[in-house]
Amino acid sequence: MERRPYFVMGDLASNLLVGALVAVATGAVVDGAWPMVLGMGVGMLLGDLIALPAAVLLTTLLGAMELMLPLMLTGMVSGMAAGMVAAGDGVGTSNGTLIGALSGVVVFTGTYALNGYVHARHRREAG
Amino acid sequence: MDLETSRKWDKAARGYDLMNGFGPEWRWAPWKRRLFSEMSGRVLFLAIGTGQDIQFFPPGREIVGLDISARMLAAATTRAHAYDGSLELRRLDVHDLDYPDGSFDQVFTSCTFCSVPDPVGGLKAVRRVLKQGGTLGMFEHTRSRLFPFGVMLEVMTLLTRRFGPEMNRDTVTNVARAGFTNVRVEPVYLDVVKIIRAVGPG
Repeated sequence: MERRPYFVMGDLASNLLVGALVAVATGAVVDGAWPMVLGMGVGMLLGDLIALPAAVLLTTLLGAMELMLPLMLTGMVSGMAAGMVAAGDGVGTSNGTLIGALSGVVVFTGTYALNGYVHARHRREAG
Repeated sequence: MDLETSRKWDKAARGYDLMNGFGPEWRWAPWKRRLFSEMSGRVLFLAIGTGQDIQFFPPGREIVGLDISARMLAAATTRAHAYDGSLELRRLDVHDLDYPDGSFDQVFTSCTFCSVPDPVGGLKAVRRVLKQGGTLGMFEHTRSRLFPFGVMLEVMTLLTRRFGPEMNRDTVTNVARAGFTNVRVEPVYLDVVKIIRAVGPG
């Protein structure tokens, strides 16, 4: 379980940043008149398109799988959430930032919790 | 020698340290240091690359480090010379190991079997050069059984296999299929990055 402040803060910051970036970009692309499913699909695609290069760049600073997998997931979740909202009411920059940052926090917390569970189960099984 | 794989890693050698030298190595340092501290006897280290893992080797060991890429080995030379012990570098394909049966007490790998074209064949070659009761210690990333990471790794492999590793290898199963016994797995990150320990010929 990662506890070093550099990596914990770096993981949190990168997920917040990518989540916000994806949601704002999705809000700019998806129109309020679009069907919700289309908005979510376009948002997810945009999320991956933004998260992948960001993950490759940030890998040099923060690690490989531990950074890439949550970041790709944040991109997808943030894009879908922002796309869904944008297809209904539209998403401005401040709302987009909030939706994206929230998505980043949820994924960050979820992956840390899941990793903790995997390690705890291993310790239990190993006796 | 598999020239296609050799060329692929020659190309990757140029930016390898920039990409992996700081973030990934620092992140994995505690795990790798602990795994490699188990080195004893005559050790074979597969895919030593640019030699980034040498910093985690305990001093005073007798190690042979292999890699398929001449450019990777050239980059590893300075680090190998600085090692406080015996470290011989050789350019060799894991499928073509030319050592007699039972030549090594231990074999170690570090993110190696994501790239070996025939992983079970490569692991069988590794098993052959291990002494009776010799051990295998691997630091590897593998496919995931957790949703949605498994799907993401499958999709990423379509891209990454063109210039580097495959993200969807089932290395734990491959180790068992190659005839190793007492296969034990320790998670490093989720069920993706892991340490695998196994015993060779009985």
